[in-house]
Amino acid sequence: MNITIDGKPCVCEPGEYLLDVARRNRIVIPTLCHHDGLPGQGCCRVCIVEVEIRGRRNIVTSCVYPVERECAVFTDSDAVNQQRRVVLALLRSRAPEADRINRLCKLYKVPEYERFASKSGEKCILCGLCVKACQSLGTGAIAAMNRGVEKEVSTPYDKPSDDCVGCGSCAAVCPTGAIEVKEDAASRAIWNREFRLRICERCGQPAGTMEELELAARKSGAEPSALCGECRKKAVADAMAATYGV
Amino acid sequence: MNCTVLVCCGTGCIANGSIDVTEALSRALLEIGADASVKTAVKQTGCNGFCENGPIVRIMPDDISYYRVKPKDAPAIAASIGGKPVNRLLFRDEEGKPVLSQKANPFYTPQRKVALRNIGEIDPGQLADYRARGGYEALKKALAMTPDEIIREVEISGLRGRGGAGFPTGRKWRTAAGYEAEPKYVVCNGDEGDPGAFMDRSILEGDPHTVLEGMAICALAVGASEGFLYIRDEYGLAREHIQRAISDAEEEGILGDSLMGGGKSLRLSVVRGGGAFVCGESTALMASIEGRVGEPRAKYIRSVQRGLWNQPTVLNNVETFANIPVIINEGGASFAELGTDNSKGTKVFAMVGKVKRTGLVEIPMGVSLRHLIYDIGGGVIGDRPFKAVQTGGPSGGCIPADMLDLPVDFDTLTQYGAMMGSGGMIVMDDRSCMVEVARYYVNFLAGESCGKCSPCREGLRQMLQILTDIREGRGKKGDVELLEEIGETMIGASLCALGKSAPNPVLTTIRYFRDEYDAHIHEYRCPAGVCPKLTAFEIDPAACTGCTRCKRACPTGAITGGVKSAHNIDQASCIACGSCRDVCRFGAVRAAAKRRLAV
Ligand SMILES: Cc1cc2nc3c(=O)[nH]c(=O)nc-3n(C[C@H](O)[C@H](O)[C@H](O)COP(=O)(O)O)c2cc1C
Ligand code: SF4
Ligand code: SF4
Ligand code: FES
Ligand code: FES
Repeated sequence: MNITIDGKPCVCEPGEYLLDVARRNRIVIPTLCHHDGLPGQGCCRVCIVEVEIRGRRNIVTSCVYPVERECAVFTDSDAVNQQRRVVLALLRSRAPEADRINRLCKLYKVPEYERFASKSGEKCILCGLCVKACQSLGTGAIAAMNRGVEKEVSTPYDKPSDDCVGCGSCAAVCPTGAIEVKEDAASRAIWNREFRLRICERCGQPAGTMEELELAARKSGAEPSALCGECRKKAVADAMAATYGV
Repeated sequence: MNCTVLVCCGTGCIANGSIDVTEALSRALLEIGADASVKTAVKQTGCNGFCENGPIVRIMPDDISYYRVKPKDAPAIAASIGGKPVNRLLFRDEEGKPVLSQKANPFYTPQRKVALRNIGEIDPGQLADYRARGGYEALKKALAMTPDEIIREVEISGLRGRGGAGFPTGRKWRTAAGYEAEPKYVVCNGDEGDPGAFMDRSILEGDPHTVLEGMAICALAVGASEGFLYIRDEYGLAREHIQRAISDAEEEGILGDSLMGGGKSLRLSVVRGGGAFVCGESTALMASIEGRVGEPRAKYIRSVQRGLWNQPTVLNNVETFANIPVIINEGGASFAELGTDNSKGTKVFAMVGKVKRTGLVEIPMGVSLRHLIYDIGGGVIGDRPFKAVQTGGPSGGCIPADMLDLPVDFDTLTQYGAMMGSGGMIVMDDRSCMVEVARYYVNFLAGESCGKCSPCREGLRQMLQILTDIREGRGKKGDVELLEEIGETMIGASLCALGKSAPNPVLTTIRYFRDEYDAHIHEYRCPAGVCPKLTAFEIDPAACTGCTRCKRACPTGAITGGVKSAHNIDQASCIACGSCRDVCRFGAVRAAAKRRLAV
């Protein structure tokens, strides 16, 4: 199938997400809540573009928009720019401490909106990626609480959660660095809870929290590993070398 | 002679004590039962639509309606049967003349009952009552038709969805029928979340079988074998009635394993709503039925193709389904005789607010707002000037007085920035502040949106802040333009129709009442005398008769003055609630701008 994005002809499969097509063709569309490993959030709306089909133009959300028919896409039209600026300004007043949003605001020339009530000290844009990451591990320690303007992401009742294994996957996917992880040689603190770190027997670096390693072990049916990820790989390679004599 | 006493037992009348009235009537009739010439049965019915005047009792076949009946009225009513009616319980028309029949009551005469045809006439708990009025005849007929023939009838009828968006029902069914996937589902949307709306509740409570019949016909047409009725959390009675209707119909072999013995099966079940306005949105509703959080998803793939559990799913509103048996029985063409070119049939409205007669009304599409508000509603309470009517609830808008002659249909209302919505209609007089109306809906939605996508969640948060500022005298130059700018982005970039339509109340009030916004912002004045921070009330000593009504109504005791001497308001303790103005019969209480008085 053939479409054009900002005038550039692009080939794509029916049903492919517009964002993926654009990226393959090196056309930049800003995103916040999109993560290749956890697709389908579609909630920040900074990735909006305009799609023209049979003369009719519509604003769509490129990260979840499947291309089903030939169309002309505009990532830089007046309507897109105007609405994206307002969305970014709204997100900036929600999460004024998020560097990534401030950078995007600069890049897309978002003016000051002095009239907007700004939260203080906030970085979270409530995209829900962290919740999804945690759920996909089977832990489900954090969730979106409340609805509407009161929505927030936290552990139940903001209390340290028994389900949390301290793996930090949530923090790794967060687009705005909103989840605080404090780590020293022996422990890691996240979501109001402190975890002891297991030290790798081989290299002495942290291998992960006890809980995290136990969860991984339960899933694979093996003993919790005493090695960190890197050393585990090396150990496997060494064992193969010993067996096959290479 | 056989005589039936129908007691309205809709939610409104129950709240006013109609269960006690039913019992009292049964007892009273038993006591005088010695007179064997009259065989009476007391029946409980669904909502008659005139709840404000409930409990309503009707004597059939004489067709005499009594209003605001108390248990102590029962002996008089019982004694009157077959004789002279109880005069004091009758409805009075404009000239104060008593009206016997509902048919002669100006609230009912202009109405055309299609979706509401059985309500108030039958006991919703009695399948036999429904069948006696032709119930399940349409299903029988549909069983002898091909799916294509059923869908064609619905297409010819021109029926459009009554849940808000007005999507052509026939087209939706045809699309669903076209997919091969198995299984398919049919779902009834009974979430009815608009504040003040109760159309769907009345149908579910008062005529549950008609909804089931509509769903069964839909299932035949599209090839579904399972269905759900998603009913609002607060609607306990509706769920109870529907549940009972399902069991009764299954017991009689109408629903269940073999629809009326025809071999096709349909399993229906009731799902309790998730409790938020957004749960009425189609994709959120389906997520909720599947047991997930009631949040919408992007709708680029429609739910007729991939709905519940990713299978083809037809979702229709309660009232939409209630129209289906009529269309099949009488034919699509006959249904299409009512209404306008693009909006066929009737629509049920819940008319509330500053109108003399409030309640549920069913009218042909295309009648004017004026007819609805003045002829059926009897005009504005106290004959005050009409200011606006809000249609379509939180997704709708406000229509001003100079547009009262607009016809009520899907396209006209949308064209003027309002919406048909599900049929909520709030009449407002000159003492309604349009900024406050906009703020009210934005505040409602701020708590009822799912909060998933940023334009809706953050847009509502900022709009609420700005509107609150304007109302409290902190408005700034440029605020109106900013509200428009946020609104435009919400319409374009929100994920679901809640966010896309949430700005409507704000944008229509700006469009038609811009001067009111400006007065708040630039003149520090609320023209309607509603916003407390901008309003002060004063009593005109020349007009005050010293009747003391205002003094008694004031919640803070701010009013002083003796009987028959002019009263006075102490500005320091007045909270500007306006109670005094509401109760004064001599127009002596006036609203003024606060600042002027303060100096
Ligand atoms: C926020 C929101 C709330 C809604 N609430 C309802 C509702 O309570 N009842 C309803 O029938 N439709 C509601 N709708 C419309 C439904 O999404 C859907 O369009 C409708 O149920 C389809 O049925 P119809 O074609 O028969 O109208 C709502 C839509 C939105 C966006
Ligand atoms: S913490 Fe990060 S990942 Fe989680 S919702 Fe907030 S912004 Fe998204
Ligand atoms: S528009 Fe509002 S209700 Fe709809 S998905 Fe976005 S936040 Fe949720
Ligand atoms: S990146 Fe597409 S909506 Fe967030
Ligand atoms: S409940 Fe009786 S008239 Fe509405």
